[in-house]
Amino acid sequence: MTTLSKLTISLAAVLLMAGCTGGVSPSKSGASETVSEESLGLRKTNLYTEDTTTGDKTSYGKEYAGSGYKIKRAFQDAPPMIPHDIEGMLPITIKDNQCISCHMPEVAASMGATPVPVSHFTNFRADTAIAKNGKITKSGIEIENTSTDKMAHVSIIKKDQLVGARFNCTQCHAPQSTGKLAVENTFEAQYQQIDGAEKSSWNGKEFMKGLDTEHGK
Amino acid sequence: MALSRRDFLKSSAAASAAAAIGMTVPTEVEAAAAKAEGDWRWDKAACRFCGTGCGIMMATKGGKIVAVKGDPAAPVNRGLNCIKGYFNAKIMYGADRLTKPLLRVDENGNFDKKGRFAPISWERAFDEMEVQAKKALKESGPEGVAVFASGQYTIMEGYAAQKMMKGGFRSNAIDPNARHCMASAVVGFYQTFGIDEPSGCYDDIELTDTIVSWGSNMAEMHPILWSRVTDRKLSDPDRVKVINMSTYTHRTSDLADIEIIFSPNTDMAIWNYIAREIVYNNPDSIDWDFVKKHIVFAASPVNMGYGMRRKGEKSLTPVRPDGSAGKYDALEMQTIDKEMQITVSEKEAPALAPYGYKAGDVMVNKPAGLKHWEIDFEEYKKFLAPYTLDYVADIAKGDPDESKEAYGKKLKALADLYIEKGRKVVSFWTMGMNQHTRGTWTNTLAYNVHFLLNKQALPGSGAFSLTGQPSACGTAREVGTFCHRLPADMMVKNPKHRKIVENSWKIPLGTLNPVGNQHIMKIHRDIEDGIVKFAWINVCNPYQDSASATHWINAARNMDNFIVCSDGYPGISAKVSDLILPSAMIYEKWGGYGNAERRTQLWRQQVLPVGDSMSDTWQWVEFSKRFTVEDLWGAYTLRNGKKLANVIPEALKMGYKKDTTMYEILFANERAKSYKVDMNSFPQQGYDNSECIGDSRNVVGSDGKVFDGYGFMIHEYLFEEYADFGRGHAHDLAPFITYQRVRGLKWPVVDGKETQWRFNSMYDPYAAKQTKENNNSHAFYGPLAKALKQGDLKGMDKASKKKGLKNKAKIFARPYMDPPEMPDDNYDTWLCTGRVLEHWHSGTMTMRVPELYRAVPEALCYMHPQDAKDKGLKQGGLCWVESRRGKVKARVETRGRNRPARGLVFVPWFDEKVFINKVCLDATCPQSKQTDFKKCAVKIYKA
Repeated sequence: MTTLSKLTISLAAVLLMAGCTGGVSPSKSGASETVSEESLGLRKTNLYTEDTTTGDKTSYGKEYAGSGYKIKRAFQDAPPMIPHDIEGMLPITIKDNQCISCHMPEVAASMGATPVPVSHFTNFRADTAIAKNGKITKSGIEIENTSTDKMAHVSIIKKDQLVGARFNCTQCHAPQSTGKLAVENTFEAQYQQIDGAEKSSWNGKEFMKGLDTEHGK
Repeated sequence: MALSRRDFLKSSAAASAAAAIGMTVPTEVEAAAAKAEGDWRWDKAACRFCGTGCGIMMATKGGKIVAVKGDPAAPVNRGLNCIKGYFNAKIMYGADRLTKPLLRVDENGNFDKKGRFAPISWERAFDEMEVQAKKALKESGPEGVAVFASGQYTIMEGYAAQKMMKGGFRSNAIDPNARHCMASAVVGFYQTFGIDEPSGCYDDIELTDTIVSWGSNMAEMHPILWSRVTDRKLSDPDRVKVINMSTYTHRTSDLADIEIIFSPNTDMAIWNYIAREIVYNNPDSIDWDFVKKHIVFAASPVNMGYGMRRKGEKSLTPVRPDGSAGKYDALEMQTIDKEMQITVSEKEAPALAPYGYKAGDVMVNKPAGLKHWEIDFEEYKKFLAPYTLDYVADIAKGDPDESKEAYGKKLKALADLYIEKGRKVVSFWTMGMNQHTRGTWTNTLAYNVHFLLNKQALPGSGAFSLTGQPSACGTAREVGTFCHRLPADMMVKNPKHRKIVENSWKIPLGTLNPVGNQHIMKIHRDIEDGIVKFAWINVCNPYQDSASATHWINAARNMDNFIVCSDGYPGISAKVSDLILPSAMIYEKWGGYGNAERRTQLWRQQVLPVGDSMSDTWQWVEFSKRFTVEDLWGAYTLRNGKKLANVIPEALKMGYKKDTTMYEILFANERAKSYKVDMNSFPQQGYDNSECIGDSRNVVGSDGKVFDGYGFMIHEYLFEEYADFGRGHAHDLAPFITYQRVRGLKWPVVDGKETQWRFNSMYDPYAAKQTKENNNSHAFYGPLAKALKQGDLKGMDKASKKKGLKNKAKIFARPYMDPPEMPDDNYDTWLCTGRVLEHWHSGTMTMRVPELYRAVPEALCYMHPQDAKDKGLKQGGLCWVESRRGKVKARVETRGRNRPARGLVFVPWFDEKVFINKVCLDATCPQSKQTDFKKCAVKIYKA
């Protein structure tokens, strides 16, 4: 069964990793083997001194923006990671957001950049205001609770401009250091769309998909 | 899993038949059915990470998480997550998940403190824990059994742990890592409002004109709130102003109209400068009607020390001629000695002048507790006098390369924005103001300014303490998993509160221990002193996250004690423990969190735990089976001489027997059993429930038999019993099932309606009730410390009579003071620690997510290029960061997202390999006991 086989892999991974650092030894206590403290976790060096320990060196990819190199999305509609060198492109300020100068849909193709998708031009936050009677309103409607079980209160408004909440690109997208991982991850990527590893499919009807969790819709 | 068509038909039929008759559907079968139908199952959940409390939509397929997307229905984040939020999808799948209990053993399989880890059964694990906890109880009494608790516990876990610790073990030595993160905010709330947690809500962001971030890098630490701030700023760039107050430039500065870099600790001086601007230079801006109706002025002792160890404590004995003391060397003692007395510095002298101190005076420090008294407005005014623009610009300017004149102009502009009539202002803060040796004070100073201007508890205006962890509010604070607290703002020292809890828990009156002083640093220190002999780590990483880390690690490894660590992954704390318990992670269990805007959010178990992992709730409940009335409820004498009565006779009168277990009393009682497992209807239908019905892994449990569930809905039971404490007491929560339907509600939830702005009679039913007759706009109805004696800045008039201040809040006179350790000739640089966007806390989860690891694989030492040059360091080269307590190596970053001025470095703490807490100082706010991770003195040199 899927779950069980994962467990085995997971357990084996602990022991295997421990094995790599010479941490495993048989024990008289029964069939089980013992592992050393050093063999566990991310830090395999002596915990009681810092003389021999340094962080894993950062080494971001050096591909230039527009080179065509892309990193696959981690799963369907996961935010794509930044595949190019961003030296000199940050910080993002009100007056200067260099990311959007290449990634806006109207220019992206010509720049060889991944276009900002529809979701970033969709505002899900209803306008919030205080009515004359003091009550809080969302999209002009007085509300008692900001969250209800009614899905009708979900606001989806298409915008021409990049939605302000999505202005801080580095909040979701990050460059990637090359080299070995600290620890492998057994997550398996699944894509519902054939081009799910490259493209966002989160738009239109997809926005509401699964939101009614009581009825599974 | 490859299913044949025949298997598919069978599993589909099994799933629907099972659903129809209300029986358990094993995850694999159901998952297979879903797969065959080509569907992903989407469900709502709360994000695992920060205190923002975003909603996520989570997809499962084949019993595994396959995707996460932002939840458009979640009011907090409306369809958007930050990078960590999206990668919740992967946090449970690091290849080195713990799958079996691991115990340090000798060659014969017996526990051996110096032994290697051997995989053992759950039964063997609980056997050892039982022996060790009983030994600790015998040797040190209830104070010898401790728990490192968490602001990341689910509500149910925190409640279960607290119940067993305080009700079962009669030990108050349970304190969360949230102590490190918002204890100062809490004491600030209690002192100011008489009740914990913020007046405002996140809608303030859309409603305000001004956002001032004080010591909070919201852009990285509360990214979704920052996205809302950004959206607001971009929607009206001329009107909306954003000001960043910080000790170094960071991403929050990038969108700010004004950035004010201040010297560490001088935020206090700046708050008082703003108040002085109001009181002295813009008296018309004071809303006297509001102030007279709602505010009193107050003062408290200033010579209260810095929360470090005091002379005479066991580990500081003996004092030796070379200056060392006990387990602390002479260098460390240079700082620790300031706990007993200091010499008033030139920098703080003007601020302390109204208290009768001048530069060069010796200030003798004494534990001050939380004592305070009322003063009159004239006395408050006298206190404010020193905070002229000249003085404050002098001491607060944090960038040596900025001119005092330019700096002064920015301070003035800041004050003007607060004061401007008709301008709404929200002040946000987090760790910068909380992790502070005067953290409680600084929190209260924020409310002062908002109160004077009547800009508090109004839509779009208010001082708003953001919290760091996902359930620091929901679990640590509301459930009360602190050493001094009980649920719903009740206190262990209050006999009425203890009685309420004892009645609810059906335990004998007098069971609960009235002495609650073992906060998280005290637990570490008590381990080092040999008092705490048994400590259990739940959902936190105290051996990586506590300052002066070397001491605590040595105490854990080299002394006679037993440390248990429950975790999903082997972090530093697991490595230094004696027993490691594999724990179910967030979406492997039913749970609930409460965020920084009082929003409670619940979720269902999405998948089965990995390996033999079980939830912390299960671990606590199983542990409770090992202890009987006779084991725990006899007489004890505490360290301070206080006696806990033998309550066994009373227990027998209540119908318990000597061998009745804590399990039967605290967890499997009649009320608990009334919450039914019902696999046939919402919300349980179709979802796993490992604690209640067991699961298809057939985990062999604590008694050596396959665990097949408690048979009742323990999650609902724990939630409802806990929630009852707050209902009718301004902490009202909705029923368990409501939270399964909605994307959280902000308490108090009264008649099904949430509360947007607390204390405001228009929005808060509890305030409305108090103001029915006087028609006041507000009622600050918190009940704590609501009668004060009178006095002046220098002290309380003992002969004065206590005056009640029903429905009033307090403005405190609290002066600027230096922290206990500041740069000098030898240690010439400030060190500030904190987080980065891509990693959560100690990195145990996020360093195992490839995208997050690759985004930031190491903790860098962020510094000014000129400092690097002056110290002979190169960008990307290694340096030593060394304090009086220890040193670590890190790579130099002079061009990164954090850009300190000369004289300060920032090193985040997520990286086990850059163990910065070995360098940090464990000084705390003496009132809140929260560690100041934001400042100590270091030297930096080439490695």
